[in-house]
Amino acid sequence: MKISTNWLQKYFEKPLPSAEIVADAFTFHSFEIDSIEGNVLDVKVLPNRAADCLSHRGIAKDLSAILDMPMKFDPFRGSLESFPTTDMLTVEVDSAYVLRHTGALVKGVKVGPSPAWLKEALESLGQRSINNIVDATNYIMLDLGQPMHAFDARKIVWDKETLRIAIRSAHTGEKITILTGEEYILTDDMYVIADATSGVALDIAGIKGGMASGIDEGTSDLFVSVGNYDGTLIRKVSQKLKIFTDASQRYQNRPSPELTAYGMHAILNLIKEVAGGELVGVVDVYPNKPASSLPVSVSLVRINEVLGSDFTEVEVMEVFRRLDLPLIFVNGVCTVTPSFERTDILIAEDLIEEVGRILGYDRVKPAELSGELDVDQAQFRGTEHVKDFLVERGFTEISTQSFASKGEVILANPLDKTKPALRTTLAENLKESLAKAKLHAPTTLEPNIKPKLFEVGTVFSKDGERISVETSEVVPDMPALVPDSSYVPKRYTLGLYKPFSLYPFIVRDIAFWVPDGTDVGPTRSHIVESAGPLVVRCELFDTFSKDGRTSYAFRLVFQADDRTLTDEEINTWMDLVTKAVTQKNWEVR
Amino acid sequence: MPVGRLHPISVAVRDIADIFGRMGFSIAYGPELEDEFHNFSALNVPADHPARDMQDTFWIKDRPGFVLRTHDTSVTIRCLEQMAKTGATSMRTINPGKVFRNEATDMTHEAQFYQLDGFAVAPRGEITLAHLKGTFDRFYKEYLGEGAKVRFRPSFFPFVEPGVEIDVWFEAPGKEGRWLEMAGAGMLHPSVFKNAGLDPEKVQGFAFGGGLERLLMVKYGIPDVRLFHSGDTRFVYGFDQKPI
Repeated sequence: MKISTNWLQKYFEKPLPSAEIVADAFTFHSFEIDSIEGNVLDVKVLPNRAADCLSHRGIAKDLSAILDMPMKFDPFRGSLESFPTTDMLTVEVDSAYVLRHTGALVKGVKVGPSPAWLKEALESLGQRSINNIVDATNYIMLDLGQPMHAFDARKIVWDKETLRIAIRSAHTGEKITILTGEEYILTDDMYVIADATSGVALDIAGIKGGMASGIDEGTSDLFVSVGNYDGTLIRKVSQKLKIFTDASQRYQNRPSPELTAYGMHAILNLIKEVAGGELVGVVDVYPNKPASSLPVSVSLVRINEVLGSDFTEVEVMEVFRRLDLPLIFVNGVCTVTPSFERTDILIAEDLIEEVGRILGYDRVKPAELSGELDVDQAQFRGTEHVKDFLVERGFTEISTQSFASKGEVILANPLDKTKPALRTTLAENLKESLAKAKLHAPTTLEPNIKPKLFEVGTVFSKDGERISVETSEVVPDMPALVPDSSYVPKRYTLGLYKPFSLYPFIVRDIAFWVPDGTDVGPTRSHIVESAGPLVVRCELFDTFSKDGRTSYAFRLVFQADDRTLTDEEINTWMDLVTKAVTQKNWEVR
Repeated sequence: MPVGRLHPISVAVRDIADIFGRMGFSIAYGPELEDEFHNFSALNVPADHPARDMQDTFWIKDRPGFVLRTHDTSVTIRCLEQMAKTGATSMRTINPGKVFRNEATDMTHEAQFYQLDGFAVAPRGEITLAHLKGTFDRFYKEYLGEGAKVRFRPSFFPFVEPGVEIDVWFEAPGKEGRWLEMAGAGMLHPSVFKNAGLDPEKVQGFAFGGGLERLLMVKYGIPDVRLFHSGDTRFVYGFDQKPI
């Protein structure tokens, strides 16, 4: 989530350090930072903290603990004033989907552009400013993590003096046009916020608002909906419709339903500030109130026994003071009562993690494992035995993709539609690789050596999978792929990788007579030196003696990293090679 | 006749097997076509949970509940089940093997790659997060060179708590040293032990997993992950290979 340090600042009296220092604080104590642009951090909030940290308040709370900087205020602490009620609004809900819904009627607002601070706050995160009402709801969601939506109450059919809302399952075939203009046809496993008087669906509940009840300059009365919906169902609906919104993302991470009341207070205050109007009343429906957070206990001994640390009772108490989580320590056991929004703290290990990350994992010192164990690497060694056997016989190991055009096991969602199956054999890929290996052989192999390949890999049939060995030609006496605990696989050191050229190579041979007893090494060096910088290989591939003279035949391979070579160019170099040979009084054959 | 060549992954796994072997680690394998229980549910990744989005998954047609494993942690849970069956209270394995992610490929992403996954479990209190740090400190020092060192950053993987990212400090030849994110790890989650039939009151331990190609790319300066499983012999011959 994009987080602005300017926005965070409102939670702190003291000025925050630079975005870079804040980023480091998160990196080593809570979250990875994907990017920093000016004062905006892209914070990678993972699923364990997505219930409370997809919000500036949540991030500020964590930062407060990491930097041990008290927050100026915390909107989730202290008691909330109760809302005035009204009988002009009724909300019926399907409790299979709705954990809680807090709805409000507001009349007499003035819709217009947002004040500069609000516009800037949203735009700094790359959000578009729409109007003061829509901006206010987006701002509170990004601030507190509670999604919400404002409807034009006068675009909804009223039952005389009463606005009747139903949050119900959709009818199969029911249509809705969302705010961005696209029409969706719903099915009965989806849920809508509907006007209960006319029965019309207004909004895909918790996912996206509808166009028909959208806010415009003429809007004066609002129905404000602050809900909390079942995370599993909303995830399914969102995936089925392929609509992924800031709201659906937050709901599927199951924020506490306690949040709706805080969200409602915040949005009503902000609407009043930026658009005026008057609150008629609030209707709070709470069919699925969760049990209050249960205290979680862990002993100091256990904390250090998991982390391998030597943290003290005082340090542990400090951690939870900084996190603003009430703690009691009795006989070496600390008991923490998680705040309502910290739905991630459920077991002792969750507390251990809080201690570890806040005090810092740099304080965990490396320790060596001890104790003797029977080491079983037999299956591995057996497989490597087969590989070594083949390598000794001149085979080169390749690795190829497990996907194939045809097979007995088919992927439901292939990445490459031309290869939707899992391979039943390694032979096909091996054949293809062999053809390529032959083409490239002059650059990889000595002259006269034909490429031989093998692959060890998994193949799949409808009866299951197995490890298979495929060789490009028959190999007599190949050991079976069986566990072999006594085999010691051969080891190699590899040099740094040298990229191969993607341009074609040119092969030229030269054969000449030298006096018997002429060393090959210096002869080869003499040729390489005269052949210029484009020679990538130069190897003796034929030699014989006759009448006191020896014939050497060398194969030269030319290749450039950046272009296709021409025959003319190579002819020039070969002329130089011939000249160099002739100068030595060696007769070119 | 000249000898052929081993694929660099085989060379690397032999080095890794040797180092971990000397620290008491066996090597375990498991199916690439895995059931949802061993790939996800047993590892604390429930269906219809956002944690599933952390790994884009290939599903099997007409076989609901089966996937191409998205990580080799599926082998870890199978090993833990085996511990429960045999009554063992200590086990250490590495699980090198191919895994699959349904995501677009580029120079640093492949839809199929190898992971070096593993775990160490012992009676409660014996194996701590400090041992995870010590194990990787030694591994990277032996594998990448004496200058290597590790640091942990907090992270989240559903099957561990606490969870960490392992960064390694690496100085490539002729280049300035830098921290590289190499693996995810943490202390195995009590639910994972329970799902395997073990009692989390009696055992504890760490688990880890990271891309193998990435480790090789760092060590040998390989620019593109797609080279590894291209079947191209020019890649295999891109290294000077010397027998030890």
